Amino acid sequence: MYCYLYDEYIQENKRFERELLKIENRLTDLGIAGKVSRLALFRNAEEMIRDEIDHGVSTIVVVGNDETIRKVIDVVADNDVVLGIIPIGPNNELARMMGIPEGVAACDVLSARRVEKIDVGTVNGRRFVTGVMMPNFHAEITCEDKFRVTSVARQAELEIRNLADVTDPRDGRFEAVIRSVVKKGWGIFGRTQLMESILPLSSMAIRSEKPISLFVDGEEMRSTRFDIGIEPLLLKVITGKARVF
Amino acid sequence: MFKDKHKSDMPSSASGETIIAQGVRVEGDFHSQGDVVIDGEVAGTVQTQGALVVGETAKIHADVKAKSAVVAGEVVGNIFATEILELLATSHVKGDIVTGRISVAAGAQVNGRVSMGEEATAGRGKKAAVEEQETT
Repeated sequence: MYCYLYDEYIQENKRFERELLKIENRLTDLGIAGKVSRLALFRNAEEMIRDEIDHGVSTIVVVGNDETIRKVIDVVADNDVVLGIIPIGPNNELARMMGIPEGVAACDVLSARRVEKIDVGTVNGRRFVTGVMMPNFHAEITCEDKFRVTSVARQAELEIRNLADVTDPRDGRFEAVIRSVVKKGWGIFGRTQLMESILPLSSMAIRSEKPISLFVDGEEMRSTRFDIGIEPLLLKVITGKARVF
Repeated sequence: MFKDKHKSDMPSSASGETIIAQGVRVEGDFHSQGDVVIDGEVAGTVQTQGALVVGETAKIHADVKAKSAVVAGEVVGNIFATEILELLATSHVKGDIVTGRISVAAGAQVNGRVSMGEEATAGRGKKAAVEEQETT
């Protein structure tokens, strides 16, 4: 049984009305129409989904964007239900990587129901699917409790990738990528070069004396310590043929 | 600073390859299952079941153990390469070497004992196994 979760911005914006109508008609034609739940300012998405799961729903389809998926990721992963996506509007990077086309074309991908299990990352207990960014990386990281990594360059950034164009989100590991700006040559003849380190890991800890910012799937978290891990093959997602992994 | 980099240009370690580039320092027991490329600084121990490439800019102060190794940078510590060790012209090694086969380019600097052949690698392997048993 399918449950379609409409994000708030879709209901408020009139330009999506026609697209929604087309989607609803296509879902009916394909025989996969289901209950529609609408997100609203004071409605808790997780509670809504839990109610639907209690009533026998086995597939939650998010009609929205990456932000909508973030709202439901915890409850979907915890309850062993399948996540589907119908991307509408901007900011749909996750759907692109899953190989799901925008709008009404996504209905056919849903109907084909190609389910993949993917890893989910965690930062201080908060789950993420795509990755984590630290634009100013000046902290010490301890990898798998065995070795420490620091940047000796003046400028560096840290990216942790679970699902990206070049990574496989089914390998039980994430990639920590450190990009450092290194100066080569002397004085005015010196030029800077971007060097990229890549470490496939299953856990890491970031420690800093001062609070630092980390962007988890685009959302900011601020702390002096971050514990990052991976939950292998936790999330069941409907994917298209054009997926990146 | 970093935004002009296209996603399609991003290197990946899909095969499990680890890259420690210039500008990064690693301290501790660094163990890997796949291939490892080091151009940065490492202190502690380095161990991989795959191939190890030590670039010209690398500074390694560690005992190194790998299936095969190509060294172009500085290694202060013992090197144990089961299959083959290749020392390029820019390499500086201060430490003992145990390997199945070796290739040394003109200009490479080695300060230490070199043991070669199957007996040497097997003997080193047995010694390591005994040491592991003693510690457990």
